[in-house]
Amino acid sequence: MILGRVLSYLALGIAVLLILFPIYWMVITSLKLPREIYRVPSLWPKAFTLDNYHALLFDEGFLRPILNSLIVATTVTVVSVIFSAFAAYSMVRFRYRFRGLIGRLILFAYLTPGSLLFIPLSILMAQVGLSNSLQGLILVDLAFSVPLATWLLQGYFRSVPRELEEQGLIDGLSRMGALLRIVLPLSAPGIAAVSIFVFTGAWNELLFALVLVSSENQRTAPLALNYLITSDVLPWGPLMAGAVISSLPLMILYFVAQHFMVQGLTAGSVKG
Amino acid sequence: MTDTPVVRRRQWLTDSRRTHLFAYALVVPVLLLIIGLIAYPFGFAIWVSFTDRVIGSVGNFVGLANFEYLSRNATFGAAISNTIFLVVVTDILKLGIGLGLALLVNQQLPGRGLFRSFLMLPWAMPAFVAFLTWRVLYQPVGGGLNLVLTQTGIYPHVIDWLGQRPTAMPSVILASVWRGFPFWFISILAALQSIPKELYEAARVDGANAWQRFWMVTAPGIRQVVLVTALLSSIWTANAFEHVWLLTQGGPSDATMVFPVLAYFGMQTQRIGEAAAVSVSMMPVLLVLLFAVTAVMQRDDER
Repeated sequence: MILGRVLSYLALGIAVLLILFPIYWMVITSLKLPREIYRVPSLWPKAFTLDNYHALLFDEGFLRPILNSLIVATTVTVVSVIFSAFAAYSMVRFRYRFRGLIGRLILFAYLTPGSLLFIPLSILMAQVGLSNSLQGLILVDLAFSVPLATWLLQGYFRSVPRELEEQGLIDGLSRMGALLRIVLPLSAPGIAAVSIFVFTGAWNELLFALVLVSSENQRTAPLALNYLITSDVLPWGPLMAGAVISSLPLMILYFVAQHFMVQGLTAGSVKG
Repeated sequence: MTDTPVVRRRQWLTDSRRTHLFAYALVVPVLLLIIGLIAYPFGFAIWVSFTDRVIGSVGNFVGLANFEYLSRNATFGAAISNTIFLVVVTDILKLGIGLGLALLVNQQLPGRGLFRSFLMLPWAMPAFVAFLTWRVLYQPVGGGLNLVLTQTGIYPHVIDWLGQRPTAMPSVILASVWRGFPFWFISILAALQSIPKELYEAARVDGANAWQRFWMVTAPGIRQVVLVTALLSSIWTANAFEHVWLLTQGGPSDATMVFPVLAYFGMQTQRIGEAAAVSVSMMPVLLVLLFAVTAVMQRDDER
């Protein structure tokens, strides 16, 4: 029994170590002087520096991509949650023709990978004059986030007791009022989880940014970092500084809302 | 007289019709988005794959010419076998690691909540950050992996992990597993926690040992979740772009070339018809997986 426990802790300890080492390396590389990155690499640097952050933000102009990413991810999140809340409510509360078919279509759309559609979508965006713009990127992100959000919200809405809504309708609320005043507040944890998933998805998106965006001032954070490694010199220090900055918003969200996220993850099987 | 239109409208717009209209109105924006930006492009991709479209020209219908060209193309062959290999090996590793860790965390251990938080960290990191970090870790100069191996004396020579054929694919797999196992871990853990404790007690009373209890109680309890997770994970891994793109861009000499990266390269060469054909050749397998997983998920969802 005790031996089993010791072995369990040992195995878990090793697993945690293997998980933390890459994260440690990311942070430590971002704080190293070039000498300690390339010439005398060390596990623990002798001198710490913020030069890499300075170089990234001011020489590489990383503030613009971060701002673009924030604009895209925030817009996608707000719009997705609004549209999918309407659709999910309709799917859960009403019975009508084609409802089953629509439900299947939503699930299908959510599982369709972007790598299958990036060629036709880039042609389409060029045709409607939205290529090389954040609007185009937002629209494409919405195509993938709205089905995900609708699918997840259906699960949360289903757990709101019908009786509460019916009471509200008797008390004079309209259907819309019931959705806004009863269902949404009661699904707040679900809305929070879905918002985080959608934000994360849009924040992480690289392929469509790569295909759609060509000018430098429209780049998102992943795209800017991608171009950093396709140059001739490989600036590991600034690159890892960018990695740290890009993961901060998500890491903060993770530690604040871990509970909701894990619940949502297992409820709806969210893209890993 | 003047009341008639009102009365007529009331008859037409009964309460039930009004409710139906409302229900449709709520779902229509999402439906339009899916039709316009998922369904239509899906069909459009198939059409383009049968044409010789290039940038700046719509092209002509060429039948199966693009697919014939691809079938004779060595890089395309490499992409097929690499994609299958990558999916199968990462799925097996993620299952093994995810299941093992879930079983460990599912015990009555003090501090298991903390372990769970740490084990989920790779999933909370953005994918592009994770793979950029692994790219740095694998470097011959400045990379953490070589440094640890040489300094601890496990292996004395510096290895160019991503730059040579024998190690490139295993390196991509290791990074993908690192980033992808938490999804398996947490899904399996949730399934384990929903298995009633009495079942284990009953099996124990019947004299089943730990191994038998695993196969008689645990395995049936998590089978469904493992199935859904495997299907989802296969779809996502087969179509993932970031891992290979940010680590190796498909190199060295196609050793890690996969479908999405090949399609992207095809688009860069401006031969859109061929690039679309690369994507479309994935569709049959993908559709089978999609139908399987939507069937299982919808069944679960309605239960």
